[in-house]
Formats: sequence, C-alpha cells, structure tokens
Amino acid sequence: MNANHIYLDKVNLHYASVAFKERSLKSLLGGLLKRDKPAAAVQDVHALKNISVEIRAGERVGLLGHNGAGKSTFLKMVAGLYPISGGTRVVEGTVRSLFDLSLGFEPDATGRENVLYRGLLLGLSPKFMRAIEDEVVEFAGLGEFIDYPIRTYSAGMQVRLAFAISTAVGGDVLLLDEVIGAGDANFMAKAKERITKLIEQSEILVLASHDFGALRSLCERGLVFDHGKLIFDGPVVEAIDHYKAVNGITS
Amino acid sequence: MKHVNRMQSKLDTPLQQPGAASAELRVAPPPRKRQSPARAYISGIWNARYFWVHLALSDLRYRWRRSFFGALWSIMQPVGMTLLLAVVFGRLFNTNITEYAPFILSGMIFWEFITSTATGGSLAFVQADAYIKQCHHPLAIYTLRTALSNLLVLTMASLGLVVWVLIIMPQHFGWHWLAALLIYPIVALVAWPLSTMLAYVATRFRDIPHALALAFQTLWLISPIYFEPSMFRNGGLHVLVDYNPVYHMLEIVRAPLLRGQWPTPTNFAYCAGVIVVMTLLTWLIGRTAEKRVIFYL
Repeated sequence: MNANHIYLDKVNLHYASVAFKERSLKSLLGGLLKRDKPAAAVQDVHALKNISVEIRAGERVGLLGHNGAGKSTFLKMVAGLYPISGGTRVVEGTVRSLFDLSLGFEPDATGRENVLYRGLLLGLSPKFMRAIEDEVVEFAGLGEFIDYPIRTYSAGMQVRLAFAISTAVGGDVLLLDEVIGAGDANFMAKAKERITKLIEQSEILVLASHDFGALRSLCERGLVFDHGKLIFDGPVVEAIDHYKAVNGITS
Repeated sequence: MKHVNRMQSKLDTPLQQPGAASAELRVAPPPRKRQSPARAYISGIWNARYFWVHLALSDLRYRWRRSFFGALWSIMQPVGMTLLLAVVFGRLFNTNITEYAPFILSGMIFWEFITSTATGGSLAFVQADAYIKQCHHPLAIYTLRTALSNLLVLTMASLGLVVWVLIIMPQHFGWHWLAALLIYPIVALVAWPLSTMLAYVATRFRDIPHALALAFQTLWLISPIYFEPSMFRNGGLHVLVDYNPVYHMLEIVRAPLLRGQWPTPTNFAYCAGVIVVMTLLTWLIGRTAEKRVIFYL
C-alpha cells in the first residue's frame, strides 16, 4: 500500500499577533506597566479554521478562494513551515513546494554554483546535483551567462534559472502556489511542459490558483476557502461554480 | 453584505456530499514509527549537512573575497593586535612581554570566537529568512553555520598561537598539547547552543544584539582574558577566576601551551557544566520558540 497521503483533522492556524505588536523589549515592558489598559485591538489572525481534509495518493487537488482566504497559508502549513495551533496534521512522503522561486540566490556566485546551492537547500547531495547539473543548465538556456555571477542577471534570467533548479527534482507531494509564469513566451511553453511532467511524477498535487482553466485541466478535486474556512470539498468543476457563486462572480 | 450572509448559511450546512462521503471513509492515520522529537530534530540537522556546510564555507569565501591575504588575515589580525597590546600592557603591568603576549593572543582569539558566534548567531534566523520561509529545516542549522565558519576562523587563528609558542617557549611542547585540541569541540558545543538560544529571542526582540555587545564587554572586563589571573587574585577578586567558566575554558588551552601542564579535572568539569546548562536552556526555549520563529521574520 502506498502510504503517501495528507491527513488533516480540525486544523487551526493562528498568526501570532505579537509578531507585529511587540517588536521590542521596550514595548513589551511598557505593556506590562500599563496593565490596566484594555487589551490592544490587534488580535491573533485566525488564518485557518477547523480544516479537516484527507488527500490520498493519486489525487490532484485545486485550491480556490479570494485573496487572503487561506490558500497559501494552507499550502505552507502542509509543507510544515507554519505551526498549527490545534488539530492533527500528518503528511507522509517527501514534500516538494514551489512558492517563491527567486529566494536564496547568492548574488556573487555564478549561475552554475547557485544551481548546486539551491539543490543543497532542497536537501539533495552534491553528488546527485553534479549528475543533474548539465540538464538544469541546459533547461535554463542561459548560454554562457551560466558562468557569470547572478548579480549580472536580469530579473527574467534569474526566474528562469530558479525555475530550472526548483523543478529539476520532483517529490511525492507537490505543492504549487499559482502556476509559475517565467520568462518569455518561448520559455513559458517549455516551463509548462516541465511542470506537467513534474505533476505526472508526483503522487499528490495541491495547486492554488485563480486560473480556472488550469484548475480544470490539472485537478479533479477542488477545495474552496473563504475567510480561513473550508466551505466546499468536491469535484473541481462544482468547486469552481461554488466559488463563483459565493464571491458573486457571474459568467 | 449579501454575499457574506449567503456564505454564512452555506457554512451552517455540512460539507457537500463528496466531503461527507470521504468523512465516512476516513481512516485514522497509520501508526507511524514514532521517533522522539529530539532524535528527529538531530537527524534533520544531519540530513541537511551539505546545506549548512555549504553556507558556512560560503560565509568564509565572502569574508575573504577580493582581499590579497585572504585567509591569512585571520592569523595576522590577532597577532598584530597582540603585539600592540603586549607592548602597552607589558609596560603598564611590568610583565615579561614574550610570555604575556601568547597569553593575550590565546584570550583574544577565543573571545573573538565566542562573541562573534553569539552576536552573529543571534541574527542568524533573520539573515536566513529566505531559506526559512521556503524550506523546512531545523533552525539550529543556521546558527551551526555561524558557529562552524567562526570555528574555522578560530582554527586558522590558533595556528598563529601555536607557531608563536613553539618559537618562544618550545620547552612546553609535549603530549599534553593533545588536551588543548579539546578546546575546539568544547567552544563549539558552548557557542552553538548559546547562539541558537539568543537567535530564538533575538528574532522577536531585535534589541538583543545591542544588549549583547554590552553584556560581552562586561564579561570581558571581569574575566581573565587579557588580564592574568594573578592580577585578579592579588586584587582580592579570586572569585572572578575560580568560579568563572571563561577562565576554566581558557585553561584547556593555556595550561598545556603556556605552562606545559595538563588542564585540571576542575577545568573540564566547568566546561561540561556550561555545555549542559546551555543545551538544556536552549532546548527549553526552543521547545516553544522553534515553531514560532517564522512569524517574526
């Protein structure tokens, strides 16, 4: 039996309000002195409310919701980046997430060196990285610029390189935040093909997107979020209709 | 407003059929091979070893990039500073410069390691926020990176000390020098938890690095780092020597290299004590702080 799955039971997630309230010791001590004052208006943000979902191997799940509904938070929670404040979270299988691609480049190192560094960040071994290096460099298609320092790259070139590295290795559980648009039209076509391949390799796909076309073609199951709550769980076509109805979108 | 109302009513009804169906089918998560959290954490650090070793080395490359002497600066800078101090202090305190200078040098490179690891490490999470927000690794690898790169600098710098002692006091060379090698694991095991603990706190309270500078200056003044223990003893301040962990840690190096003796069991006991206390404190703070760090970045 394949054990790769995501199991969430009554998961709650709060963003700690202290993170933006008390930045310094001074304000903390000041707050202690003024005990009698009413509590500050800033509350913990309840970003995910009582989410219970089970996703099994082979499922392709799309996340829908307005901005701030909790799609990205949900993905980051599944990836283990955000701690949950209540409930049960079990994720089996290696998680590969594509959130913010251009993070973590070393500007003074060359593109080729950065390929290695990013691979190490993802937990791969130097030996494995050397084996796939040529393929990544080839895909990025930066020509001789691959041996130039990253700081000489244009924004588009950086995105291409980041995309090439991040998509070189798949995982059992693939988490995507929006389908990544990178580079010029020529590269976009290549990128789409590569993402599709990555999705095919993965056991579980969770994709957050506003692109109904992409959701319909890639996913079978849809989850609709609204203000941190899961309001619909079902076939993706119905999920899109539900999302449109809730948000008052006609057409 | 209308939408909100409609949405509320939807929420009152249970989820649509597929969700309900899957609720019935829902199986309890399979019992996992339970690994204790501490062991899982340590194996997480081990699994990410290529990554933090790379980070530490790239810190060093960055430090030495585009300088003519490069890594040699790590040896020359403390030696030059020591020469200067030894001349001034030697006159002031009327001590023998050739023997006093290695004393200062040993204190200087050791203290430089502790302070730079603690202050640098306290900002390690803030510095690594791009990685922390993207990949789930144990946070201690980011302070380990600081500790490791500083440890390599300390190793370079201690070459200067060893050469100096070999030239000026070759009579002290012997088997007991092996004991001096223990200083590396000892300071690493003290500085790594210390900087991790500070990093947990400093990510939330950004005042910490400033406060640290003051705290370390105070500690420097009351510890036998540049000033010989005899000065403290003569001034009736033997407490600052005998009960000072900094003194005992330094003795691991100073007893063999500067006096040709083995460090005492008391010295080692103090080192072990500091390591245990630091590790426990860090674990206590980290139990709750580790997960919340991402909110403060």
